[in-house]
Amino acid sequence: MIVLSPVPDAPPDAARMAAPLESLEGRRVALLDNGKFNVAPFLDCVEELLRSGYGVREVARRRKANQNAPAPAPLVAELAGYDAVISAVGD
Amino acid sequence: MTPTPQPLRSARIEVADAGAADELFQANGWTDGLPVVPPTEERVRAALAAAGLAPEAVIGVEPVRGLAITAEKVAVNSVMAGCLPEYLPVVVAAVEAMCDEAYLLHGSSASTGGSAPLLIVNGPVRARLGMHAGHNALANGSRANATIGRAVRLVQINLLGCLPGEMDKSTLGHPGKYSFCLAEDEEDSPWTPLARERGVPPGRSAVTVMAAESPRQVMNEWTDDPAHLAETFAAEIRANMLGYSIWPGNYALVIPKQPREVFVAAGWGKREIREYVFRSARVRRADWRIHGKGALVDRGDPEQEYAALRSPDDLLVVAAGGPAGGFAAVIPPWLGNRSYAVTREVKE
Repeated sequence: MIVLSPVPDAPPDAARMAAPLESLEGRRVALLDNGKFNVAPFLDCVEELLRSGYGVREVARRRKANQNAPAPAPLVAELAGYDAVISAVGD
Repeated sequence: MTPTPQPLRSARIEVADAGAADELFQANGWTDGLPVVPPTEERVRAALAAAGLAPEAVIGVEPVRGLAITAEKVAVNSVMAGCLPEYLPVVVAAVEAMCDEAYLLHGSSASTGGSAPLLIVNGPVRARLGMHAGHNALANGSRANATIGRAVRLVQINLLGCLPGEMDKSTLGHPGKYSFCLAEDEEDSPWTPLARERGVPPGRSAVTVMAAESPRQVMNEWTDDPAHLAETFAAEIRANMLGYSIWPGNYALVIPKQPREVFVAAGWGKREIREYVFRSARVRRADWRIHGKGALVDRGDPEQEYAALRSPDDLLVVAAGGPAGGFAAVIPPWLGNRSYAVTREVKE
C-alpha cells in the first residue's frame, strides 16, 4: 500500500542563527518586552546585570503592543541594528 | 480523451497494510493519538475531485510564518481524519477562515491558553453531509461533525507543527482539540441562522470559526421569563471573565430547543438575547477579589467596568441541541481581544 505524507514535503526555510558574540563588553543590547505582566521586572534585573556585570555600552528597552503576534516589522528592523536582543515572555 | 490527472506532490510512503500505516503515522507524530484512515492516492484524489480543487491550489497562508496550505495537504489530512470526499469543502472553508489575520491562527494555536477552533456550520451542506444539530450537539453526533472537526486539528498538527510541547504550548488544552464542530439547527428554529447574520446570502452554506475554550454548560428550567434565561447566560459569562479572561470579544451561546421555546414564546429573537447579554455581562475590576485575584485589583481602578462584548454583535447565538433539558452552553473565546470569529462560505 502506498500512502501520502500529511506533512510538508519541503521543510520550511530554517531561520539562521546569528554568530554568537564572544563578549558583551562594549556591545549594544536591546531588551524586548512582550507586554505580559511579569516581563518588566524581569527585564529590569537583566538590564542591571548587563550594566553591572557585563560592561555593555547601551541597553535599549522596547515593547510590542500585541503579545500574541510577532513584533511589527519596523520594530524588528530596529532591533536588528543591535548587537544582541533578548526577547522575554512573562506569564 | 481522458484528461491526465494532475500530479500529487506529497511524498509517497510504502507500508504493508492499513495497520502498518497507522503505526507509522503514530510513531511520526502525525496523528492526534487516534487511529487514522490511510491517505492513499485514490482517497485523496476522490476528496479533491469532490471539492473541485487542484492539488496545488493554496487554501490559505498562515500569516506569521508564511506557511502555504495546499488543497492536496488538506485533503490528505481530511482523509486521515475519516472525512468522506464530500466533506472536504467544509474543511477547506474552515482552514480559509483560520488563515484570516483576524483569527490569529499562530497565536491561538501556540498559546498556553489551550484553545481549539470551534466550527459552526450553516446552510444546505449540513443536510447533504448528514450533519447533526440535535442531541449531543457539542459532542459525537455524526460522522461529518466528528471528522470535519478532526481534520482541522490534523491540519494544525501536520501542516503547522502544532504538537504538544512544541509549537502547541497549551498548558491544559481541552477535548475540543480532538474535534469541535457544531451544526446549527436551522430547521427547528425561527431564528436567523448565524451565517446569515454574518452576511452570507440565503441558501448558501458557510463555516464560522472561533478560537474557543471549552463549553460551559448552564441550566435554568425554572422560569418562563426570557430575561431570567438571558441573565443565566450573562452570569456564566461574568464568571468566565473573572475566572479565566476578562477581555472582550466573541462568545458563542448554544441554545437548545427547551430554552429556545421560552424566548420564542416571548417574542425574543437572537437580537434581543444579544442586547440583553451585552448590557448585563459586565464586571468591575474589584470583582476579581471573589475569584482569589485580589492582587490584580489595586493595579488599576477597582471601579473600572469591563464588558464581555464590544457590541451585541460579538455574541454568536446558535440554535442547537436536543429537544429536552433546560440547558445551554456558553463557549468563551481564547483571548477575546486578540482573535475574532471569521465566517467563510463553503464552495459547493
